[in-house]
Amino acid sequence: MSQQTDIHPPQWPVKLLRFFVKKEYLEEIEGDMEEIFRDSIEQSSLGKARRMYTWEMLKLLRPGLIKNLEGIDKLNQYGMFKNYFKVSIRGLMKNPLTSFINVFGLAAAIGICVFLYAFARWTFGTDQFHKNKNEVFLTTFFAERDGTLKQYGLTPRPLGELLRHDFAKIKKICRVEDKNVVVKYEDHVFNERLRYTDPEFLEMLTFPLKWGIASSLADVNSVILNEEVSIKYFGEENPIGKNLLIRFDKEHSKAFKVTGVAQKFPASRTIDFDFLINFENFRTTDPGYDYQDWTKLVNATLIQVENPKDLPAIAQGMDKYKKLQNEAVSIDQAISSFAFEPLATLHEKSGGIGDDISRSSDSNYTSVIFLSVIGAFLLALACFNYINIAIVSAAKRLKEIGVRKSIGATRNVVIIQFLTENVVITFFALTLGVFLGWMLVIPWFEELWHFDMGFRLNDFNLWIYVTLLLLITGLASGIYPAFYISQFQVVGILKGSLRFGTKNPITKILLGFQLVLACIFISMAVAFTQNSTYLAQRPWGYSQHEALYAVVPDQQAYEQLNAVMARNANVVSMSGSADHLGKSKTSTILHFPDREYEVDQYSVDARYFETMGLQLKEGRVFNDHEGSDKHAVVVNDLLAKSLGWDNAIGKVFQIDSVQYEVVGELKEFHSNSFSKPIRPTIFKVARKSDYRFLSMKVREGSEVETYKSMQTAWAKLFPETPFNAGFQEDVWGFYYQEMEIHGHVWRVFASIAIMLASLGLYGLVTLNVSGRAKEFSIRKVLGAAVKNITMSIVNQYVLLFAVALVIGAPISYVLIKLIFDFAYAYHMPVTYWSVAIGSVMLVLILLTTVFTQVGKVVKANPVNGLKQE
Amino acid sequence: MKKTKLGEFEELVLLTVATLQQDAYGVEIKRELEERLKENLSVGSIQSALKRMEEKGFLTSEFGEATLKRGGKRKRIYTTTSYAHKILAEMKEIRAGLWDSMPQLAHSLKLV
Repeated sequence: MSQQTDIHPPQWPVKLLRFFVKKEYLEEIEGDMEEIFRDSIEQSSLGKARRMYTWEMLKLLRPGLIKNLEGIDKLNQYGMFKNYFKVSIRGLMKNPLTSFINVFGLAAAIGICVFLYAFARWTFGTDQFHKNKNEVFLTTFFAERDGTLKQYGLTPRPLGELLRHDFAKIKKICRVEDKNVVVKYEDHVFNERLRYTDPEFLEMLTFPLKWGIASSLADVNSVILNEEVSIKYFGEENPIGKNLLIRFDKEHSKAFKVTGVAQKFPASRTIDFDFLINFENFRTTDPGYDYQDWTKLVNATLIQVENPKDLPAIAQGMDKYKKLQNEAVSIDQAISSFAFEPLATLHEKSGGIGDDISRSSDSNYTSVIFLSVIGAFLLALACFNYINIAIVSAAKRLKEIGVRKSIGATRNVVIIQFLTENVVITFFALTLGVFLGWMLVIPWFEELWHFDMGFRLNDFNLWIYVTLLLLITGLASGIYPAFYISQFQVVGILKGSLRFGTKNPITKILLGFQLVLACIFISMAVAFTQNSTYLAQRPWGYSQHEALYAVVPDQQAYEQLNAVMARNANVVSMSGSADHLGKSKTSTILHFPDREYEVDQYSVDARYFETMGLQLKEGRVFNDHEGSDKHAVVVNDLLAKSLGWDNAIGKVFQIDSVQYEVVGELKEFHSNSFSKPIRPTIFKVARKSDYRFLSMKVREGSEVETYKSMQTAWAKLFPETPFNAGFQEDVWGFYYQEMEIHGHVWRVFASIAIMLASLGLYGLVTLNVSGRAKEFSIRKVLGAAVKNITMSIVNQYVLLFAVALVIGAPISYVLIKLIFDFAYAYHMPVTYWSVAIGSVMLVLILLTTVFTQVGKVVKANPVNGLKQE
Repeated sequence: MKKTKLGEFEELVLLTVATLQQDAYGVEIKRELEERLKENLSVGSIQSALKRMEEKGFLTSEFGEATLKRGGKRKRIYTTTSYAHKILAEMKEIRAGLWDSMPQLAHSLKLV
């Protein structure tokens, strides 16, 4: 047996065995196994012996031998758990008030969290339904404008075709160009946005079709609609094969056959379309369209590659096109490089790319973060309520814990009991919370913003999320009370010498934290509400009321409408323009000898300033002589300020090599909504042939009347063209709505936060007061006045309120400032007022909460209190 | 018979223990049974049968000697109880009775 020392059976199975198998069997079995191992080395190879040994070891792990049975015995406390559940349910029924506070508070917070999930899912799912999202890229270019490098999503016209031929690795390509047209079907006539594109569009962006086939786009005579448009023209019936007449301009119109209707687009998308027609239609509908013109840009060129890894190679090959492009355009239009943006993440970056196909989802991502923070805070508020109430109400359950411990419950058992109760409550809360989120919060939010988040309950991830929520909430709210309550010694409890619950510092800290949060939420709500009122009154710098506008197709239509409306007694002033405040503008580059400067440009006529109520700061507006002011411009004061001009009048610059002179400077006005900063702006004289807007100033109070008479006139003049006009104050209507929604959302969150905090406080005060019933009765019997009793209750909380406000108010102030600066370009000056109003409201609500209990104590008959055991 | 619930494999192990007397410990039982049954048995199956029967009161056990070959671990020697003997005898009797009555049964079946 000389090999005894150097040959060993493998060690790990033994360890496994020791871990699993019952201790009392170990020596015998290990011995047996070793003996068998020794026997088997004599008969077969060492390797085989070892394998057999291991295999045998594994086969030893069977129910009769392993320890777990003991563990299972221990875990098998069905009876005990049944008792815990029964006790929890009884507890819930016995204290309906605290149960309601716990369950409802948690449910409200969970409801918000469920909504949060739906919103995050919606946001992260943006554009992710496209099957080729990782292979499709938008062609973009970088160019230096105003000294900074910017990315643009536009592409030179000929580039698409060249890419198709030059790169074998590019599988598919499609150009996209949008145009405003008039669409007519029977007596439906509407202005529509039409998208010219290559037939590959629907193969690259996989929008499913409801009717028809995608490949029909290859035919130049076919048009594909989206579902909404289809319903608008044809109702619910299948429109395949019907003819739509599309009028491109005065001379060109063409009949198209409907060959496809897209299914309702997924809710979270940033790319869609109304009408799709073949790109080749430019040849027939717009003879001036030059496919080879490098100076013109198309709205987008999308490519699809076989493998995303090929992209760097393609990007490298783009340099020759850059050369072609830069040769064709003037030096200030030169580009620095081409680049590609993947479809999957385009929507995230779209805000930074000047592109014409995708919308930015930035604000949604910001909202997700905002809402997550709010959700987390609300959940924390609800958990704190639970913890506080559990700690305080434990005083009432001391006897129960004492008895349980003295008949053999260990500390762990007590902890498990309390956690079980917690799970029961959290479970109720979760069920109610999911229901609240599904039936209340989500529909509320969807209705506010008019969109559909596509929330479904049969979503696997949702349930993972909900389970995690259950665990986190359960642990966060249950662990501390369970440990705290279970730590007390039996002797102390049963002797009655132990008093606790009333003086726990944790309760105070948590309540204080809740109050701070409530203070922040309520101040926010106040500030947002004030801000939306403030913005509603903020002057735009031009007249919002008494102003109407109409979109006209061309100069002739303008003249005709002008002639009719001029006879209307309500019209004070009328003007024609190519652009219009809040509706349309262009951007252009001013050239100075030493620098270039990008500005917004409005082409208007001389009466425009008067009509729209734009006020002159210095100089003059255009003279009413056609042609005499061709090279004059009027600028806004920001332009003058940012170029460092003390006096703008007489300053000169070039636009497209033509010299212009500044003749007037306007006072501040907002051409965008208040959410965007004012941009440097110039006004030029518009050529009459470019007139697209007719704007008019009417007598006060006659807006609706004038609008109606204009509508009638229009119907007579242009029965074939849709009437597109409106009140100037409606141009930014959606903006005010949005402001109002912000206020609304914050008020709801603040209400929930205040409700949670005051529910918690109410619970605490109630428990505190009922615990001291005897004390109050004795005080009353001995002659304490209402004032004394009130003081003795309120005193406990006044200091806490004060501390919470001292901490909460400055935080609120700073946060309001931060959020306002972040979210709005122009907002009301942030003052201490919002915080002060918020704090006063909070204190009032809190005092009301406390005084409901004080009232009860004062009215109670001391005899009842003294009789109480 | 009702209360004993002695499985077929258990019965075999029990009989082997009874046969081996002083040598009845895990490895030996396994070796003996493998020889008789002419098939390989796993340590686990024998061990669990032994433990089960010990719990049911068919076997008692005590530690025996330790050898170097066993890595210094002691053997556990199993001994059958008188209750086991009684049950084994009962079972044998029942079986014998069944065997005895079988030809008659077969015969009578044929008649029908």
